[in-house]
Amino acid sequence: MTGDGVSGGDMPNLPWLGRPDVPPIGDASWAALLAGDDLPAGSPPELRPVSETLAALRGGPASDELAGEAAALAAFRAGLGVSSPARRPRRRLAVLSSLPARAAAAATVAVLSLGGLAAAAFAGALPSPLQTFAHTTFGAPAAAARTGGSPSPSGPGPAGHAAYGLCTAWAHAKAHGTGTQKAVAFRNLAAAAGGAGRVGTYCATVPHPGAAASSQPHGHSTPISHPTPHGHSKPTSNPTPHGHSTPASHPTPHGSGKPTSKPAPNR
Amino acid sequence: MAGLQILGAVIGDGFAAVLAAAKEGSETAFSRLWRDGNPALLRYLRVIAPDAAEDIAADTWLQVVRGLAGFRGDEQAWRAWLFTTARRRAIDEGRRRLRRPAAPLDKIPPARVPVSRDAAEVAIEQLGTRSALALVARLPPLQAEVILLRVVAGLDTETVARLVGRSPGAVRVAAHRGLRRLAQVLADRGVTL
Repeated sequence: MTGDGVSGGDMPNLPWLGRPDVPPIGDASWAALLAGDDLPAGSPPELRPVSETLAALRGGPASDELAGEAAALAAFRAGLGVSSPARRPRRRLAVLSSLPARAAAAATVAVLSLGGLAAAAFAGALPSPLQTFAHTTFGAPAAAARTGGSPSPSGPGPAGHAAYGLCTAWAHAKAHGTGTQKAVAFRNLAAAAGGAGRVGTYCATVPHPGAAASSQPHGHSTPISHPTPHGHSKPTSNPTPHGHSTPASHPTPHGSGKPTSKPAPNR
Repeated sequence: MAGLQILGAVIGDGFAAVLAAAKEGSETAFSRLWRDGNPALLRYLRVIAPDAAEDIAADTWLQVVRGLAGFRGDEQAWRAWLFTTARRRAIDEGRRRLRRPAAPLDKIPPARVPVSRDAAEVAIEQLGTRSALALVARLPPLQAEVILLRVVAGLDTETVARLVGRSPGAVRVAAHRGLRRLAQVLADRGVTL
């Protein structure tokens, strides 16, 4: 770059701008445009469309720009142990020992209830950096050291939950997601199922996590479908796409797939 | 900061409390940060990495979650971190894809910039965010990026300069030229109010 001034009178490198129809942009107008303020009086009328265009850039969020919230929240829940201010536990057990027992139990359920992210992680299907992240935050197999045996050190619970989340994520993406989301969800699911053609059978045999609660190693005697790791008692913080708490035999997305307790979009 | 409807100054004075709550695990607080940041992040990424914007945004948030405990700073610093993370991801992604779109934007002669006849008939007031992004995407890359970081991310000139590795003067020039070029493109479309 030239590093020259910004007074606006000289634009020597853009001969196609030499036409007189767009006058130089004065400093005051320039600052107002970038700040989103009203143009100062006397600004060239040609700047009005620019101001409107920049306002459109700042427009309120579109639905597709908020579509990834469930996945982001799932990652947030998975990373809760990492957010402990005292230290950065490297393994899930360290996370559990660093939290009060009740929160730890709830956090465990939250981790086990993750959607496609955790499912893909436990299936070893994530790209290496993500797999490493999953490994260090919620105990998925390490990226380089996958073994052929049990996908998780915690027995059947996590695998069942992972499969459930994987099927749920696919069902949700299929119903509501973008093309990319569908592709990612299906790829993850197919990897876990052992092939695209086995997806149907795979998901048909996945139990609802609540239904399998009694067999979990963590001793929950009742289905916990609303993880509340930090005292949120609102059932609408349920991380699964389901809007109800009754165990279903198969993952099915509900109407919107979104929690209902979100703040209203900023406008 | 009137007019900043997304990201910029939306959380404002309450930012420190929201950040602290998110660090302690509040999903509500994290959701607020995410809903505040993700639309702007996607708009930025859809211009600088159009083929992988959603994936890069998701990766960015993973990294942010991972580093949340160690983050210290105000809202401006938070946004700078968010967009710095996204930018690095986008650059990595670009390197991974050896094949980049041909003909960099600044090599396209203005006369060949495609202008939709339909779009020209749409009043600017109704110009959607997508259309505005498409216009900005036609600018030379640095100009487009600087304008997005200033306008959409709400970052100041000095922060943008650090982020893109240029001097503040170069950032000002890029923003200035970008806005003027935008004015020219809009004028060529015959849209004046």
